Amino acid sequence: MADQKTEKIIVAFLCNWCTFTAADLAGTSRLKYAPNIRIVKVMCSSRVDPVFILKPLLDGADGVLIGGCAPGDCHYSKGTFYARRKIALAKTLAGSMGLDPRRIRLSWIPASEGPRFARVVNEFTKQIEALGDNPAKREVYI
Amino acid sequence: MAATNKANMDEVGMNKGIWVEGRAKKKVLEFLNGLLNSKKLEAVLMPATNRTKDSYSWFLMGKDGLLESADPFPPVMTTQGARAVSYLTKKGRAWKKTAVLLRPCELRATIELAKIRQVELENLVLISFDCPGAYPLEKYFNGDQKKLDEAFDACLSKQAELEGARAVCSICNRFTGRGADIEIGLIGGEAKGFWLIPGSREGEDLLEGVTGSASHKLEAREKAISELRAQREEKRKQTLDSFQETVKGPENLMRVLSSCINCHNCSRVCPICFCRECYFDSKALSSEADAMLQRAQRKNGLRLPPDLLLFHLGRMTHMSISCVSCGACEDACPADVPVSMLFSLAGRNTQAVFEYEPGRSLEEAVPYTVFKFEELKDFEAPYIKEYSKEQ
Repeated sequence: MADQKTEKIIVAFLCNWCTFTAADLAGTSRLKYAPNIRIVKVMCSSRVDPVFILKPLLDGADGVLIGGCAPGDCHYSKGTFYARRKIALAKTLAGSMGLDPRRIRLSWIPASEGPRFARVVNEFTKQIEALGDNPAKREVYI
Repeated sequence: MAATNKANMDEVGMNKGIWVEGRAKKKVLEFLNGLLNSKKLEAVLMPATNRTKDSYSWFLMGKDGLLESADPFPPVMTTQGARAVSYLTKKGRAWKKTAVLLRPCELRATIELAKIRQVELENLVLISFDCPGAYPLEKYFNGDQKKLDEAFDACLSKQAELEGARAVCSICNRFTGRGADIEIGLIGGEAKGFWLIPGSREGEDLLEGVTGSASHKLEAREKAISELRAQREEKRKQTLDSFQETVKGPENLMRVLSSCINCHNCSRVCPICFCRECYFDSKALSSEADAMLQRAQRKNGLRLPPDLLLFHLGRMTHMSISCVSCGACEDACPADVPVSMLFSLAGRNTQAVFEYEPGRSLEEAVPYTVFKFEELKDFEAPYIKEYSKEQ
């Protein structure tokens, strides 16, 4: 199942205030993490519309990571709570329509935790590698 | 204002129905005409047959009485009623007391639209009835209408299944008009008559002075309803479960959607899709030839127009939470895609996550707009627990 030959691609939507800063910190601290992620910076994790998640998944990305401030720590105070509802909906829908909800991950990573960011990326990459290629990758009719 | 508040419904409504003897269609029209004459109502929005008599449209009828062709129980759903109500009140409330006759699914959609401010319920009196289902539009237009009409009328009062009804109607588990200001109770009436059951203070006021015997065998009606509901719920679960099996995996889902011609009709007729400009019709998703050529190269081919599945799944993320399973989408589909099943399935699953039922109550906020501090833990990668492990 696991297809090690092709590099897995993970699209990451990171919130400007916490997770993106954490990614920055991981970089400045010279931490190594899996090179599979492609980061898109958003101002808040609640900006991530479920359509943003579905688009890369249908286009062949192997996973989508959404990173935001921990609940209660949101820069806009309520953003993460809305984000959680949206991601829950996206995952449920993906599951009902035969896409693998395990390819979507929502993680809370505070700004000061570069090492944690690196760990989450590594962990998720490993999980995606175990899942193998996204079947939508070569689906012409999509 | 609709009485969709649960407490309110228990207080009034229940067991207070007025039993009216006679043919339901005729008597309901008489009842409405009476209200118009006594100025309790100033207008009625309800379906009536077109000039050619072979189809139905919505008409707003005024003080001189109802059109002769008005029909409270049309056998087909041409325009979703919630859309008609939205046309009426999108830009502000109705200034005159207006009654609207809706199917139960249209009623639920109207309540959903009221939550997202596409309908203003003030001065509207919502009336709904026990719906036996509706025929697919195509079947009705091409079939023997007289025969179909007769079969439909026969089903109105009995609990018999409407033969040839739309697939989504045959698994409908919310077939009564509960939640409306006035509920027209047909089930349990055994074709001899029907109940007018108030669901709110306003409904009660309107029913004042209606002659009929007080509460006649309403328990029998409740029993018949709960039996039918249990039966339908079982059928709904089975049908949707087995449908879910057929769409497992993107390639199977594409098989179901393979005849889709990307016309976006399903979105155009959907009562819940209210956006003035749909995101999927906008330029947001269009890309340059270069990008598409790249995609084609990556996948060894690209179907154009692209993003067909993204349209359907994306639209589901927008409307599935409020989907009332009315089936308007499938009636409008020129390519015979079982979209109503697809959207009902998506709706069932997403609504279950938030324990939300569209159209149940005005007070129940659309899940997107509210949250709880502690919820949905299964959908996030745990933070606190893992964090403490790290220390």
